[in-house]
Amino acid sequence: MQSFEWVDATSVEQAVQLLGDPAANGFVMAKAGGIDLLDLMKEGILAPTRLINLKTIPGLDEIKVRPSGELEIGALTTIAHINSDHRIREQYPALSEAAGHAATPQVRNAGTIGGNLLQKPRCWYFRNENFHRGEIVHGDPALSGQNQYHAIFDNRTTSMVQASTPATALIAYNAAVELTGQHGKKRIVPVREFFLPPDFTTGRVTAIEPGEVLTQVVLPPLPQGTRSAYHKQTERDSYDWPICDVAVVLEMQGKAVRTAAIAMGWVAPTPRRASESEWILAGQNVNEERAAEAARAAVAGATPLSKNGYKIPILEAVVRRTILQAATA
Amino acid sequence: MKSNKFAGKESARSTRSAVLDTPHDASLDHGVFTGRLPAPLTLSINGANVTLLIDPATTLADVLREHLQLTGTKIGCDRGACSACTVWIDGEVAASCMTFALDVRGKKITTIEGLAQDGRLHPIQQAFIEHDAMQCGFCTPGMVMSCAALVEHDPNPGLDDVKKAISGHLCRCGTYNNIFKAVMSTSGQSRKENKNA
Amino acid sequence: MPEQQTKLSEPRTLQTGIIGEPIENTKRDVPILEPPPLPENAKLSAIGKPYPRLDAELKVTGKARYTFDVDLPGMLHARRVLSPIPHARVKSVDVSEAEKYPGVRAVHVLETILQQSVLRDPKLERPSRYPTVRYAGQPIAAVAADTPRAAEAAAKLVKVEYEPLPHVTDLDEAMKDSSPPVFPGPTEMAATAGGGGATPGLPEHGNVRGPDKGSLAGGPRGDVDKGFSESDVIVEAEYRTQVQTHTAMETHGVVADWREDELTIYASTQFIGSVRDEAAEHFHLPKNKVRVISDFTGGGFGAKYGIGNFGLMAIYLSRKAGAPVRLMLDRREEHIYGGNRPNSIQRLKIGAKRDGSLSAIKLEAYGTGGVAAGAGVGFAASIMYPCPNVLTEEYDVYTNAGPCAAFRAPGQVQGIFALEQALDELSEKLGMDPLALRDKIDTSGTEDSKARAAQRRIGAGRFGWKAQSKPNSSSGPNKTGPIKRGYGVAQSHWVSVIYPPTACEVRVLADGSVEALSAAQDIGTGTRTVLAQVVAEEFGLKYDEIGAYIGDTRYPPGPPSGGSRVTGSLTPAARNAAYRAARELAAKLGPILKAEPDEIVFAEGKVSIRGKPGSEMPFREAVQKAEIDEISCRAVRNEDYDGYLMKGPFFAIGKQGIGGVQFAEISVDIETGRVKAERIVAVHDCGRPINPKLTESQVLGGVIQGVSYALYEERHLDAKSGQQMNANIDQYKMVGAFETPRIEVHLLEQHGGHSSTDARGVAEPANVATAAALANAFYNATGKRIRTLPMNPANVLAALRS
Repeated sequence: MQSFEWVDATSVEQAVQLLGDPAANGFVMAKAGGIDLLDLMKEGILAPTRLINLKTIPGLDEIKVRPSGELEIGALTTIAHINSDHRIREQYPALSEAAGHAATPQVRNAGTIGGNLLQKPRCWYFRNENFHRGEIVHGDPALSGQNQYHAIFDNRTTSMVQASTPATALIAYNAAVELTGQHGKKRIVPVREFFLPPDFTTGRVTAIEPGEVLTQVVLPPLPQGTRSAYHKQTERDSYDWPICDVAVVLEMQGKAVRTAAIAMGWVAPTPRRASESEWILAGQNVNEERAAEAARAAVAGATPLSKNGYKIPILEAVVRRTILQAATA
Repeated sequence: MKSNKFAGKESARSTRSAVLDTPHDASLDHGVFTGRLPAPLTLSINGANVTLLIDPATTLADVLREHLQLTGTKIGCDRGACSACTVWIDGEVAASCMTFALDVRGKKITTIEGLAQDGRLHPIQQAFIEHDAMQCGFCTPGMVMSCAALVEHDPNPGLDDVKKAISGHLCRCGTYNNIFKAVMSTSGQSRKENKNA
Repeated sequence: MPEQQTKLSEPRTLQTGIIGEPIENTKRDVPILEPPPLPENAKLSAIGKPYPRLDAELKVTGKARYTFDVDLPGMLHARRVLSPIPHARVKSVDVSEAEKYPGVRAVHVLETILQQSVLRDPKLERPSRYPTVRYAGQPIAAVAADTPRAAEAAAKLVKVEYEPLPHVTDLDEAMKDSSPPVFPGPTEMAATAGGGGATPGLPEHGNVRGPDKGSLAGGPRGDVDKGFSESDVIVEAEYRTQVQTHTAMETHGVVADWREDELTIYASTQFIGSVRDEAAEHFHLPKNKVRVISDFTGGGFGAKYGIGNFGLMAIYLSRKAGAPVRLMLDRREEHIYGGNRPNSIQRLKIGAKRDGSLSAIKLEAYGTGGVAAGAGVGFAASIMYPCPNVLTEEYDVYTNAGPCAAFRAPGQVQGIFALEQALDELSEKLGMDPLALRDKIDTSGTEDSKARAAQRRIGAGRFGWKAQSKPNSSSGPNKTGPIKRGYGVAQSHWVSVIYPPTACEVRVLADGSVEALSAAQDIGTGTRTVLAQVVAEEFGLKYDEIGAYIGDTRYPPGPPSGGSRVTGSLTPAARNAAYRAARELAAKLGPILKAEPDEIVFAEGKVSIRGKPGSEMPFREAVQKAEIDEISCRAVRNEDYDGYLMKGPFFAIGKQGIGGVQFAEISVDIETGRVKAERIVAVHDCGRPINPKLTESQVLGGVIQGVSYALYEERHLDAKSGQQMNANIDQYKMVGAFETPRIEVHLLEQHGGHSSTDARGVAEPANVATAAALANAFYNATGKRIRTLPMNPANVLAALRS
């Protein structure tokens, strides 16, 4: 790991200033829990010259409910705290569940939701410094290579997937992120729009601009009786990246679904909403047949690569089961 | 991948100055650490304050092993995926290989060396010995730290709680079954649950 | 007292058999200096007891010192330069910039490459100062510097000029005539201290070397074509297994300290003797100037023998820098060139008569060990079941990938996966229960087959095995829902390997303390504890009073920690030395206590005279009365009383092997392809278990590795670049806490009258049968055969669809 200059930021404004400074000599990055950063630095993928430590900024790790009902999660809240917070557990169980299954207990204690959302793809080509030398390979090597864990949708030119699993739940809850820029300027971006197809050269996956700090995640209040469920399908349970993960949020009207939100992660470059499936469920009672129909729709149009076709029946099963799980939650 | 690599030159020899039990200097809790001239850093390790001169690009695992010669904490993968490097930060488990040393200023670090108190083994250590919850032993210090943290928080864990507590750990020798038995034996748990391990 | 190989022997009657079953009296010719036979464990005081391991406290407190922890004054840190491409000639290596980097004290470029095959005719390759690169990640050079960071930065400044060559990483591709060749001509791979190697002189065509017709197992017998024509039923199928990397928690590495008077190497190794031998050989040093130390090794599983390329580099760097050098592989390197278990394609055809007896076995197998040879699938097919007509043809296929190394029951794990499934298939065709079939045909009459018979019976009872001849998928609890459960069984057989030069010295010191020394190592098996228990038995002392010293080549030669051979090699030598030392002490005590030496008894920490109640005194008091300075006895591992199957100066195979039978319960989610090992019952033999707790731990660990191999592990290479994609711990998947099944272990105590302890190891068979048992359970659960490992969702869904 190359050395660097470390600056303890004392405020968001200062951090923003330092991150966006065009005169900065070298490559400046923000650091929260440092989990993804350390991995990338140790692998030789990133070598920042200066790290801006966000953990010394007070007030960024709190969970609050606004009078209007939104839930604010400070960007420096650890994944462990998201999992253990009783309000999140009760109101947004899919998020609690996703947080509880991310990484290892040790990493959950250190990793923050901000860092988790901003993490670079877990694609094993991207994380191998040998693939960042021009003479080795161009374009997305996974397309014609080891693409077992890559996208089955929208994968013509790139197959990497966005890695965050809490993101899947956040998208199903229609959450948004708050990005703070120069002079305290804030912009709110729905999580759904925040993710962009990952770029192999830079690993960039989100719409954050240089000189911005992700300061908050905001979840809208849910109507009474909303039911949600989350499932992360893996090869092993102890700690694993997902084959796919699914979050289902059902706004109910009596026994029927008023609207459904079905988010699928690790199957497309960015988390994908199964719109067709949501439409199938809208206004309907959920039963086995309807769930199965919605699940079939969720995988229709998949364009598997040479090694990831197996994800299709798995995704279908997980969507179906998670819909039923949400309906009976 | 455009990155201006830091062009600083390394000092010829890492400075391994560690002064045990220095008073805590709050002025060192904040600031700018340049790497070129490592600033003194005070950490609390196993109840004692130590002051070190280290480069920002130093993990807690490296501080413990290289600077303080506390080699009980092992490094198995150096990426936070095997948990062999587990220590406590303020009583919570952490992967020391994935923790910057500068991030633990003002925190209480407990390592495997600090678990036994006044020469008495922690009940988890004792239970590991009795149940042969080890083979080569390389993953053992980290495992013990995770299991000890579990029972400190919950003196009566169920089997699933134990599995969750060590879910981040890799033991290639395959001692999990004996670890389950060891941890469960420290609680007043019914024999029934022990059998399912 | 110097050990003499004695030819004087006398007939003795020894009790043989499985404790709890009928015992026989067997007459053997036993050297007269051998101690009397030991009774069953229940009658012993230290042997056979489940004591906690002696070094347990060191391990749970972090005080155990591994090579990874060794820190010497002035120690330098080494970083390696690895080839980024999979096949190339090295045109030049420029270290000038690296050498100038601040803090750098030495640079070494490899001019030899070890642990892989070599050309029979080196002239087929253009002469070059540097070895040809044959896999991505092959070490080229290393830099030693004051700090790890300086070494890392300087290593990046080493400039290597490569001339790329075409490469191949896939087994099927490499088998084709049109494949790029990994070697430009025929090759040889010498066996190393870790075993492995390939039969010399075999034909080689392109990347395919072989066939090896199983000469170690006796070679082909009978006429398989005739045998098949006489068969009533035939099963035939192709099986595929994956490449598995050892992934010991402590990576390979050394701290090399070259001084004028001696080279000391701290090594994470399974055989300090091999490290010393190879270091002496490569550096032209007399062995008495090379010392190797290993207090604790953090896992080995077969990969850690010899000096390795990394060891060579560390020693060169130490010599050049005049300082100790620490060189530990990182996790990536460990996966890439720390060794691996080759994959396999096995075409297995078995013919049998209606009554189940086998009439023909034909096996054609291919596997790649990367740039090394050693992809045999074991001799299980030739040896385990009686069959008059057998032909096995095994081929090594080279690929541009990291070299294989012996891995816990090399070849056997792959071979049993195929053989035991084929047996299962056969039993179904014959309408027989799989256990009943094995009862019928596993009848060679050897002690191994008798042990397995008992294991099948005991295991079936403990597991709750019901006669299974049809897959369960359509009945009972499997009728509805996507989760299907099933049962399966498989057996394993491994040889009992002995290291003949094993020696042990036992000393009784003036104050009555006792120590035992042997240059064995502990890789997690509990060597010190086992040694202490055997010695304690002879003196009637407690095991934790014995000073058990291992891990230093200055001690008498110890066995390699591999081939499950330490217990079998060391304990007889240790017992013999302790016995002799006890007799010598008795001879000194005789006149003092006014008794015949033969009447002096050591038991319960005391010395007493037989038949004289009230004569006892504490052991230490007695020794002090004897006013000795030190009694020292050394014994070598004598030959087995009934001889060996095969014998060389450094390697012998006993007539009785080791084995086990495992029963598995599996659950399969047929929609998601998720498989879980729910429960395993493992019944194993190891002769006389010296410490049943430690032996049980070995079996538990072996089963876990077997489950891991069956369900999760696989090395993934990218064909275009030759890179290993999952050279880490999160994407090379292994069993963790949630994947651990419930495991019940049952050990047989079996006396064979072979040696003065009759103890053998157990480590390898423990991980052999598991994958086959799970695969058979998969069939029982779903009605589909899974012949490809690992049983990951992709492979499972494919099998369910077939």
